[in-house]
Amino acid sequence: MTAIVEAQGLTKRFGKVTAVNDVTFTLDEGAIHGLLGRNGAGKTTLMHVMTGQDFATEGHVRIFGESPVENAAVLGRTCFIKESQVYPDDFRGKHVLRAARWFYPHWNDALAQRLVDTFQAPLDRKMKKMSRGQRSAVGVIVALASRAELTFLDEPYAGLDAVARKHFYDLLLEDYLEHPRTFVLSTHLIDEAAPLLQRVLVIDKGELVIDADADSLRATATTLVGKASDVERFAAGREVLDRTAIGAIASVTLTGLSEQDKREAASAGLETTPVSLQELIVRRTGGAVTEEVSA
Amino acid sequence: MNAIATRSPNATTPQRLLNVVRLHVANPFPTLVAPWLITFVIFGLNLAVWNIVAQAAGGVENLDADAFQYNGGILWIVVFMMVVGVQAMSLTFPFALGFAVTRRDFFWGSALYFVLLTVLYSTGLTALAWLERATDGWGIGGAFFQPFGALEESLNVVWFLFFAAMLLFFFVGAAVSAVWVRWRANGLYVFFIALAALIVGGLWVVGQLDAWAQIGEFFSTTSATAIAAWTLPVTAVSAIVGYLLLRRATSKG
Repeated sequence: MTAIVEAQGLTKRFGKVTAVNDVTFTLDEGAIHGLLGRNGAGKTTLMHVMTGQDFATEGHVRIFGESPVENAAVLGRTCFIKESQVYPDDFRGKHVLRAARWFYPHWNDALAQRLVDTFQAPLDRKMKKMSRGQRSAVGVIVALASRAELTFLDEPYAGLDAVARKHFYDLLLEDYLEHPRTFVLSTHLIDEAAPLLQRVLVIDKGELVIDADADSLRATATTLVGKASDVERFAAGREVLDRTAIGAIASVTLTGLSEQDKREAASAGLETTPVSLQELIVRRTGGAVTEEVSA
Repeated sequence: MNAIATRSPNATTPQRLLNVVRLHVANPFPTLVAPWLITFVIFGLNLAVWNIVAQAAGGVENLDADAFQYNGGILWIVVFMMVVGVQAMSLTFPFALGFAVTRRDFFWGSALYFVLLTVLYSTGLTALAWLERATDGWGIGGAFFQPFGALEESLNVVWFLFFAAMLLFFFVGAAVSAVWVRWRANGLYVFFIALAALIVGGLWVVGQLDAWAQIGEFFSTTSATAIAAWTLPVTAVSAIVGYLLLRRATSKG
């Protein structure tokens, strides 16, 4: 795959605060990327810099091989939807969609209409009078119907209820399969979005801590469940990410088990279960505290 | 509505500027409809008051000929244009940035929109001024669309006065608002303190030079047209300053 976004030593400081610290990565053309991390980790800032809405303090970012800053040619191929989007006073939902048609060259009216129906977006209502969920719905409609080559979504579905979020994931995947393009989704609803993600980038306190293919990331850890004594014997000398015990039954999450290791575990009477992306990321980004409390 | 040209991924600069103009009127009501409605309401109220006064006096002929000719009600629209300029930067700018518009395209597209709106309103108001003259001041010698003595000027001058005033207020509003977009509240504190210092300093200098008489003379001997023309360089400087401020502005604080 070719790189659609390249960031090299990217740093963004706001006064004394370093929001993004020396981050280097590339994003694959045609993939769905998850940009994950806790609130305040730097996800939104990173997206602002990638779309030229904010300026890097150090380092550089290229999209479609060019700097995004004030670059109409490459920005016209992107769409960035964020929860904090500001709308002109008195703009109603229908005005947002009307304007979207002018700015997104691949805008699809039929898809937009279908999304409006699915999310029951109240287009006649003023944006500032809409509920958080309704504003989210308008954002999601623009993000999908714009069919931009490179689409960034910064928690725009956070206000949607569970049913609407399910519709969003399904429609995103459906439209992605028909019109393959590149997505970057930031979310903290990791488990929900996990099935969509092909690449995962995790940032924590401004640093890029994980940049991996989603499948290989899942394979980096395994949870074993069994009798406490068997579990302890197997875990001895291995890197333990997490450990819980309920009565005589214990479970451990271990990193880097080979197929050979898994066979040994099975013969030791332990059950192997895959680790969810969410658990894995929580543990790598400051989940240690809760881990100790629950242990 | 969907011109094929604007759907090309590589829209040319004029197309992109026109898209920004369209963005400003995506909701046409606030800037294309409401100002006229409000103007007609204010005008209607003035007309009603004039008629009440004329009736109380027992007829227009019992009043001075210029009794209803010194009116500034229409100038609300000039202030309104400043508000439009402010909101264009403070609200439409972050929205446009979110729609992948560059700052350059946004600012100059907005400037084009300001000019078009100014031409539209100057022309519309001048047409009403013409009607006002043709009907002998709506039958009672009133002057609403020709504020503060503009009655004596030609209609061309009336047009130019509206044009220069609205354009100035658009770009000054946009520039001050760009200070806010760029540096938020702190920027405005510094700006208004500096502005106040500049005005007080200017007054002091005039006082020192004992030049009040000359200033009074300038305004009494210079024609309205010339004064209006003097605003054009100020407008142009405001436009350039506004662009320079916006060029490095972001959509958040």
